[in-house]
Amino acid sequence: MSELLAIAGMVEKGKNLEVPDAVKAALDNGIAPYQILVEGLQAGLMVIGERFKKKQCFIPELLLSARAMKVGMEILRPLLVETGAKPLAKVVLGTVKDDLHDIGKNMVGMMLEGSGFQIIDLGVNVSEENFVEAVKNEKPSILAMSALLSTTAPNLKTTIEILKQNGLRDHVKVLVGGAPITADYAMEIGADGYASDAARAVDKANEFLKENI
Amino acid sequence: MKPRERFLKAVKRQEPDRVPQLIRWGKEIGERLSSIYGVGGEALGIRVGNDAVVCQVGINAYMEMSIGDLKEGETVTSEWGVVYQRQSGFNNPIAYPLKSRDDLKHFVFPDPHADFRMNQVKEVMSAYHEDYAIIVDLSSSLFEPAMAHLRGMENYLLDCYDDPAWAGSLLDGLADYYIQLGLRAVEQGVDIIRIGDDIGTQTGMLIPPELWQELVKPRLDRMIQAFKKANPEIIILYHSCGDFRAIIGDLIQLGVEFLSTMQPVGSMNLSELKKEFGAYVAFKGGLDTQQLLPHGTPAEVRAGVKNLINTLAVGGGYVFMPAHLLYQDVPLDNIWAMLEAVKDYGAYPLKT
Repeated sequence: MSELLAIAGMVEKGKNLEVPDAVKAALDNGIAPYQILVEGLQAGLMVIGERFKKKQCFIPELLLSARAMKVGMEILRPLLVETGAKPLAKVVLGTVKDDLHDIGKNMVGMMLEGSGFQIIDLGVNVSEENFVEAVKNEKPSILAMSALLSTTAPNLKTTIEILKQNGLRDHVKVLVGGAPITADYAMEIGADGYASDAARAVDKANEFLKENI
Repeated sequence: MKPRERFLKAVKRQEPDRVPQLIRWGKEIGERLSSIYGVGGEALGIRVGNDAVVCQVGINAYMEMSIGDLKEGETVTSEWGVVYQRQSGFNNPIAYPLKSRDDLKHFVFPDPHADFRMNQVKEVMSAYHEDYAIIVDLSSSLFEPAMAHLRGMENYLLDCYDDPAWAGSLLDGLADYYIQLGLRAVEQGVDIIRIGDDIGTQTGMLIPPELWQELVKPRLDRMIQAFKKANPEIIILYHSCGDFRAIIGDLIQLGVEFLSTMQPVGSMNLSELKKEFGAYVAFKGGLDTQQLLPHGTPAEVRAGVKNLINTLAVGGGYVFMPAHLLYQDVPLDNIWAMLEAVKDYGAYPLKT
């Protein structure tokens, strides 16, 4: 449908001012909210995510697309709730203790949310206990943690250990990322996965879902 | 050979007697080294073997240790109106004075002519300039302060697209401020002006190189021209963390002849960079602080230093430095191994 392709193009190009009218027009034409979400907004975000992974675009362009996605989502969300559409899975997200860096974490949140996940963002400087509490209370499928500093990376490990001590480790997939983190390090500390950027975090999260089925 | 001569010779891409060094650290490592050597401040750098002294007069002074003795978690508001919170030995900006683009109309930049701004420069010049190279650091200078200190990262990255003229006008304000401040340092007779703007990430440029060329490059040009006009001999050192390979050609074109921090990430293949740009610029930095220094063994650190020197120091044009300040996760044994290896492998002619 050409109007959905046009919406996807607007998200891809970050045209946040054009998205709301296009989404409303699609709804007026009787297209289902879920279809607008998947074939319009998410399709556009997926294109920019792929381009980002191939280094064909840069962080601000991803931010522009995420913002365009968000304004479209704001219109669709109440309608999706009415139709009973469920998120793919719940993700608890945060930056570890003593670390106040948030843009990487925020981008992971935006990309995951744009891809259909429900995000519980605990913010920055999140203690091990607060991560564990959130896993206990929110029962997410995925716990996504970020550490930007080599000095705070060990807090990823201690959080995983405290999850274990609380018998919660097997209830959740743990995804980690941040500048000093590598796939080897992620494995060494007992995480389930590592992503080097927000687009790859979405891939990892989708892999986790497949494993669970 | 005096350290100053050694340092400047290397910067001029000639071989001194040995590879000069300039190692810097965060507060915690500074305190540990200070208790071992019994000296602090600039004298500690000299004691550890540095050939140059750095005076930080830029906005990043608030991120490092010069903001006083903040305790972990405490906050402070700077003269720019930026709120910093101390966490992990580092003052992180957490609230920004430019909440909206309109706020710039009423924003008052600090006074670059305030007397106190040159106090440290004057002291360091009289105490060390005879023997040591003096670097005045104006970082962070343009894009980074706009983004990370004054407006907030996501806001400013979007501003660059939503209102590029506004984004540029903020950079103009910063360039004006730093030109006035930098000229005062040039007048003092310092050797090197350091302009720093973190524009690289782990995997490549933070923003499209074309955006940097349109928005940042003309303002950087204006700064460099002003300093070179005041002193044609002044050396311009440019620093970015991460991978900024895409703009190194532009920097050389603007008259930058000294690059730091050469973090070995993304496309920053140091041997390729030496081949491609080594005839035009000297390098500083390059020893990995994300994996090797915190997690490597002393033997691995030693091998890393040797490899780095044999990659970047051939024919001169290299100053040894880790790719960042040393933070508390670096074991002292690795620091000793690093210092020893610089001595062992840094003498010219190099041992390959």
